[in-house]
Amino acid sequence: MSERRSSVARTVAVGAIAVAVFFVALLVVAFNKDVTTTDTPLLMKPAPRVVSTTYDGEAFDLSRRRGSWVVLNFFNSTCVPCKREHPELVKFHETQSALGGTGAELYTIVNDDDEEAVRAFFEQQGGGWPIVRDDDASISVDFGVAKVPETWLISPTGVVAQRFTGQVTAELLGEAIASMSAEPAR
Amino acid sequence: MLAVSLNAAVGRGAILLGVLTCIAGIAITIAGVRRHDQKALKSSIRYAYVVFFAALVAFLVMERALITRDFSLLYVQEHGSRDTPFLYNVTTLWSALEGSILLWILVLAGFIAAVARKFRARVGDELLAWAMVFMFAVGLFFFLLAFGPANPFVTGPVGVTDGPGPNPLLQNHILVLFHPPILYIGYVGFTVPFAFAMAALVTGRVGEGWLLETRRWTLYSWGFLTIGIILGSWWSYEVLGWGGVWVWDPVENASFLPWLTGTAYLHSVLVQERRGMLRVWNLSLVVATFSLTILGTFLTRSGVINSVHAFSEGSVGPWLLAFFAIVVLSSVILIGWRGERLRSPGSIDSPFSREGAFLANNVVFSIFAFVVLLGTVFPLVVEVLDDRRLVVGSPFFDRMTKPIGLTLLFLMAVAPVLPWRKASQEVLRDRLFWPAVCGVGALVFAVVTGSGGWAPLSAFALGGFAAGAALRQVALASRRQGWRGFVGRANGGMIVHLGVIVIAVALAASGAYTRSQEFVLEVGERVEFAGHSFEFEGLSLEADAVKTSVVAAVRIDDGPVYEPRRSKYVKQGMDIGTPSVKTGARHDIYLTLEGTVRPDDTTARIKVLIKPLILWLWIGGGLMALGTVLSAFPGSRRRPTAPVSDGLTEATRV
Amino acid sequence: MSSSSFNRAIKRWPSWLVLLVLTVVMLAIGIGRNSGPSTAEERIDAIAQRLACPTCDGESVYESRGSASQAIRQEIARQVAAGQASDDQIVAAIDDSYEADLRLVPDAEGLEAVIWIVPVVAAVLAIAVLAFVFRRWRDEGALVPTDDERSLVEKAMRDSESST
Repeated sequence: MSERRSSVARTVAVGAIAVAVFFVALLVVAFNKDVTTTDTPLLMKPAPRVVSTTYDGEAFDLSRRRGSWVVLNFFNSTCVPCKREHPELVKFHETQSALGGTGAELYTIVNDDDEEAVRAFFEQQGGGWPIVRDDDASISVDFGVAKVPETWLISPTGVVAQRFTGQVTAELLGEAIASMSAEPAR
Repeated sequence: MLAVSLNAAVGRGAILLGVLTCIAGIAITIAGVRRHDQKALKSSIRYAYVVFFAALVAFLVMERALITRDFSLLYVQEHGSRDTPFLYNVTTLWSALEGSILLWILVLAGFIAAVARKFRARVGDELLAWAMVFMFAVGLFFFLLAFGPANPFVTGPVGVTDGPGPNPLLQNHILVLFHPPILYIGYVGFTVPFAFAMAALVTGRVGEGWLLETRRWTLYSWGFLTIGIILGSWWSYEVLGWGGVWVWDPVENASFLPWLTGTAYLHSVLVQERRGMLRVWNLSLVVATFSLTILGTFLTRSGVINSVHAFSEGSVGPWLLAFFAIVVLSSVILIGWRGERLRSPGSIDSPFSREGAFLANNVVFSIFAFVVLLGTVFPLVVEVLDDRRLVVGSPFFDRMTKPIGLTLLFLMAVAPVLPWRKASQEVLRDRLFWPAVCGVGALVFAVVTGSGGWAPLSAFALGGFAAGAALRQVALASRRQGWRGFVGRANGGMIVHLGVIVIAVALAASGAYTRSQEFVLEVGERVEFAGHSFEFEGLSLEADAVKTSVVAAVRIDDGPVYEPRRSKYVKQGMDIGTPSVKTGARHDIYLTLEGTVRPDDTTARIKVLIKPLILWLWIGGGLMALGTVLSAFPGSRRRPTAPVSDGLTEATRV
Repeated sequence: MSSSSFNRAIKRWPSWLVLLVLTVVMLAIGIGRNSGPSTAEERIDAIAQRLACPTCDGESVYESRGSASQAIRQEIARQVAAGQASDDQIVAAIDDSYEADLRLVPDAEGLEAVIWIVPVVAAVLAIAVLAFVFRRWRDEGALVPTDDERSLVEKAMRDSESST
């Protein structure tokens, strides 16, 4: 009787350890999924319609940017990872501008934020690319952006090529574009 | 270039002192135990005081930096501000990640010193020495966090003269001064029974000794955690504008999970004290409670789970996760190793007994905790396995926890009348009669006054049933013992039960019977809703250094004026709505100003929520607090049956 | 403990029957009562509590004040005012019109079904194990005094009382 009991106890203990290990492993994997290429139903499909205005007062229409790679960065001035990845975007922008006409175009999309705060941040931290308004959240919703930062790569043919959730680096973006356009890495 | 900062140097130094003292404390105490060196063990008491001193210095230095607006510290640059009022400047310390770790350290060091002082006369006892070791170890972890990845004393770039201030939602209600510290005392307090439990396992003295030593510590921690959670609900009700008290947000769940296992533990220890049973349960529950506090800290500070509540991502995630893994794995291994000694001498004779009810109680609370944990981490599971984002919201939790809550109400009714060992039908029928009358009475009252719906009606009936049982117990005790019938573990516990019942009934009512309506009102217009009249008197503008608010004046029932508002925080750029609440015994009238408003508008969108019995949530919370205090009072009844065994000696081991 | 004769009398089975009948009657009256939404706003609130705000960190449309959830609330208000669809239909329509899955309650199929199944399985398992354990304990040492034994004890106690 006590033999059975202690073997039951041992099984329970082993089971408990197994569950704990599985749980911790799950959390480890989830935690390391910081910057990933995330799946989206829009992948390899035409990008949603994006028509809005920029902070400079100019009109912005995504469909008219065909012919070059477009990088859309969803940003919020109160989001700490967004602010942390900003220097990388500045670096990326500089590299792409140096390539002239063949470089990728970078746009920041801002929803539910204070214009003054965003402007102040860009002035302080640098960043000479257009900031697109998304006041009614239609762009964020169309892309399915729930949590910033997210960065989307749109191919020259207007197709959604990749989606990054979390902080990106200039290197990551550059390599992604290079590998998908069969051109030497920039 | 980084600023040179006296505050940073002193603060960092204090943290380093804490780290080194914890390491020394561990070393000395273990050496003292091994060599039976009384002097070494006595000095470990002094190390505890030094640890507290270090934590206090670090905390005060950070407060000083915030109050004097010392922008040489990066933390002050990111969260402090010249314009924040003094009170909110003080609370800024715990409004962001690194500072909150400082608060945790202070509370933990306080507990370490308090345990050292309380037990200083018995420092030669092996059990106590090992408990101190474990407490030092936990302290070491948190000091290392503050020294490394969550360093609050990092200096920032030179030349910064102002900051954005804390999150606006943490700046507009005084509860921000009370809720986090009280919650932390509750959280961190469970380190004490955990340390003693681990010490009991290491020394092999797994009898009832460690339970009895830590009874009051556990009770007080549980009490603080309870009050902390209720204050948090009150705060979100008063501040957030959608009229609710609980939303099963991951951060809320992080505080609720240890409460669930802690409550189960508080009940289950009674069985071990009385009959030496459920030892493995008690050890597992106390380990689970402590582990869940660590897990909760990980979930809310690592960014793995989406929550508006969560701290911004830091790099503490891997550390916390590693600590959690170490705690769980070492506890399970220790419990498994001592398995032989944990075998209890008796068994439960019948399910219809106090022991049986407490065992069932353990199971129900465990399932409750499991369901809440599952719902909280399920989005993670789906994201890892299916690469898809999923939100598990309150509808899931509400649906799952309703039957569990009703079961707990039923247990609350039946368990107090069950005798130990075995109950006969006559005894049950005798003792449960008047409680049953209360239950049916409550049901009749509810139906007659117009309530409907199976969930609230069940809650009212079972609540009445449970209240009857609790009142019966208190009435009998006070008849026997006079005023002492209200104090002591059993009677204080009944008052806590009453508080829980009041909260459960209030939640059921406000969940099912809330009424709402939105009005677009012109200045001077008056409308009627739910038996009250609302007259919109106009909009006005209020501005101060921190925010600009558009205020709507609404007169309720031709009485006082209530002012819901929308505020724009100048520095942070956030637009926050603040509700205005008229509290009443039967219901609260909750007003919010909706949409975008300008002070010169002639119409305003005012939303009115009628929320029944909300006041009773806070009254129930007060009852729970009162009951906890009464519980700690030493009762006049004799000590419970002498502990069955206090650890098997070599001679008696089978 | 000490019960007066009234107390003892009332606790007999007829009173329990009265209580049972009252309970059943009250429940029958009460459960059928419609305590659902009575204003348009309440219906909108109820639907909004079932949908997640697509751009928020896990808040529902009901709680969130972001622009996306305001847009959804307006859409809900529109459909409620039109009066055509039921709550479930409105939830489904809005969920379909957005790319992401907005339902706050996981579906009952695929991986998401796990979240519904596991708790039920756990509860059933727990009850089963409890029942098994209780039965084994009861079999190990069950002592139920018979009426003979009871009267024996009473007699002995009366004897000892009278002799003191």
